[in-house]
Amino acid sequence: MDKRDLYDSFGGMEQQMQQMLDKMAKLRADMTTVLEKNAELVIENEHLRERMVEIENELPKKPVGTTTLSKSRQNLEKLYDEGFHVCNQFYGKRRNDDESCVFCLDVIYGERERP
Amino acid sequence: MKFTINRSAFIKELNNVQRAISSKTTIPILTGLKLDVASDAITLTGSDADISIETTIPAVDDNNTLVVEAEGSIVLPARFFSEIVKKLPEDTMTVNVEDGFQTQITSGAASFTINGLDPENYPHLPEIDTTNTVTLAGDVFKELIGQTVIAVSTQESRPILTGVHFILKDGEFLAVATDSHRLSQRKIKLPEANNADYDVIIPGKSLTELSRMIGDNNPDVQMRLSENQVLFVLGNTSFYSRLLEGNYPDTSRLIPKESSTTVEIEAPALSAAIERASLLSHESRNNVVRFSVNPSDKTVTIFGNSPDVGEVTEQLQPAELTGDELEISFNPDYMKEALRSFGQAMIRISFTMALRPFTLVPTEDGENFIQLITPVRTF
Repeated sequence: MDKRDLYDSFGGMEQQMQQMLDKMAKLRADMTTVLEKNAELVIENEHLRERMVEIENELPKKPVGTTTLSKSRQNLEKLYDEGFHVCNQFYGKRRNDDESCVFCLDVIYGERERP
Repeated sequence: MKFTINRSAFIKELNNVQRAISSKTTIPILTGLKLDVASDAITLTGSDADISIETTIPAVDDNNTLVVEAEGSIVLPARFFSEIVKKLPEDTMTVNVEDGFQTQITSGAASFTINGLDPENYPHLPEIDTTNTVTLAGDVFKELIGQTVIAVSTQESRPILTGVHFILKDGEFLAVATDSHRLSQRKIKLPEANNADYDVIIPGKSLTELSRMIGDNNPDVQMRLSENQVLFVLGNTSFYSRLLEGNYPDTSRLIPKESSTTVEIEAPALSAAIERASLLSHESRNNVVRFSVNPSDKTVTIFGNSPDVGEVTEQLQPAELTGDELEISFNPDYMKEALRSFGQAMIRISFTMALRPFTLVPTEDGENFIQLITPVRTF
């Protein structure tokens, strides 16, 4: 290999490392932001829940809502809406670009005979 | 090994076999084409380890003008061999393997000598027992492939969904494919195969290649199965494909049995409207069109938009509309492909609710062909 090539490749590598370092710093900063936000949301969520309990106690018993989904199915629906598969095939995998999944929909809304 | 043959008859078969030969294979000998010359016929074989195609050119058929002077086998580099054969000057050509694997191809004044490979190293084709045979009409089978293969997944991360699931039971042949976003299912009655019972998954890619080989002059396709291979016999040609291993998800329960809203409409009219709406939806990030059913004035409204470009609305008058008001969003590309598979037919679309999959069936014979599309949630 030519000596100049050697220098060039060192230069290239240095540049790549620098870029990597920048990226890392940026990622760390992003993570910190996300964590901060998360902490805020947790606190807010707690407040909201407290408030909800208060309101629920004030109100007389609500009539049954329009939704007929069971609690566990509602949980699955929530996960699906957050962008995760809840079906047997791809459970826990991310749904790319909010793609729809026929298996998940079956799990959430499908009729199922009780054993 | 030495034979002389009519070039156009040979090219026709060569083209078929070449479908299986890939230049990107990791096994070098599979870039070659195997020629087996017997006293009464020559056999061409091509393979990419997933698909293998074998075809026989018999000497009895006078159109082939096949004259065998010496029997034998050779593997020739497929790409060069076919290009050479196609460019030869005369109507007939002679292939002669001299000493070793050097092969001489002559036609008129042109003479090529190319290096072949040892036929002993060529992998053996799977042996499939001939007792389990199902015979299908070529045109029906081709239609079935065309209708189901569209829903096959292209993502290698879901290997099992890259195939079409075939079930033969009680004289009924069922083909299902899904990529988890949409599903296509076709049934064919096969009363003569009443006691056969199969459950296999055939790679969609193999089926696409196979359907290209089913010409108008091949009325019947025979399907034979073994543990991990399927063989389709079309006249003198045998098409082998690997089967996909694993359990196909249960799809029978995915198809809704009831519906609250149904719309009957001409497939081409809806297809054209969806096509227009998708012009804009393709520009937006989530690529959906909204489909609103309005029973009070018996209309259907299709709406597509892209925040950057603009929006489109189109009102359609379906032939028939019953049930509740509904608003649903879906990926227009799935809809377009599904509609194309119906051709010119009148179709019935059945919805249950905005979040559940909906089905499309032809109004005639709605039992045997179903397309299912899942909606996209919009907030």
